[in-house]
Amino acid sequence: MIFVAVGTQFSFDRLIKAMDEWARDNNEEVIAQIAGGEYTPQYAKWERFLEGEQYNHYIKEASVFVSHAGMGNIISARNNNTPIIVMNRQYELGEHRNNHQADGIKWMAELSGVYAAPTQEILYSLLNDTQALQVANSIDTKKLDRLTQFLGDYIKTGKTA
Amino acid sequence: MNKKIKILAISSPGGHWIQLNKICNPMEQQFDVVYASPSAQYKSSTQSPSGKKIYAITDASADSKLNLIPVTLQILMILIRERPNTIITTGAAPGVMAVLLGKFLPIKTIWIDSIANVKRLSRSGRMVKKHANLVITQWEDLSDDKTILYRGSVL
Repeated sequence: MIFVAVGTQFSFDRLIKAMDEWARDNNEEVIAQIAGGEYTPQYAKWERFLEGEQYNHYIKEASVFVSHAGMGNIISARNNNTPIIVMNRQYELGEHRNNHQADGIKWMAELSGVYAAPTQEILYSLLNDTQALQVANSIDTKKLDRLTQFLGDYIKTGKTA
Repeated sequence: MNKKIKILAISSPGGHWIQLNKICNPMEQQFDVVYASPSAQYKSSTQSPSGKKIYAITDASADSKLNLIPVTLQILMILIRERPNTIITTGAAPGVMAVLLGKFLPIKTIWIDSIANVKRLSRSGRMVKKHANLVITQWEDLSDDKTILYRGSVL
């Protein structure tokens, strides 16, 4: 099963339509969370929004998670050992309030287990060989440990050095 | 008497909330952390081990400015009730309101800009830059090492 999600704030019809057409042409179940999108899939199963538990279940069970370039989904995919393909919303197409997702996918794609699909062609070529997609390496928490340690010290002492 | 320092951790839902949990869940060992976030229709949340306290607040964003009024009152009530020593937020709109309230009460405030903002501080981060006691970026390049600090990141 391939799980597709676009977040709750905006729709992302371009991605949903691409995945619906992919579902039409491929023998694999596609489940999509489409938010307020106008395009309603014909071949993929879809919901506008999902409960947290169901949402996490789909991320866990999916062979591949296809998502907008949102941090939350990337972190969840990595935690669940599911490879994730992200497509960025484009400001020019009215898909977001600014273009930070276009900058975002460049560094996101450097994370293990994360693949960037700026276009439908790249998305399809990644989906055509899902066996080649890797899950995240054992997650390195050094930077997070540094941050929480620093914040703890700052709260207790008020010092930033 | 060894009472834990209390922290209010607050953010909008989605990616901000997941980053907030990544940062604040490990801090629960040392601090008494209470959370506040809009109860979104989904939360792909990072669960903390046992019974953490989460206040549900109204969802407000740059697109729903009217909702900033109830959300500000709700945050004020939480601050009066919980009397935290420090507020930590990853943004966006509820975090801005929490920082501004914290400034006047006064409560120490920490703004952690979302890791999604790679090229410049988020718009809300730029708004609170002068008001928060501590502003953290998760990208070394965005730090000036004076008013905006880099001290690690969630990933």
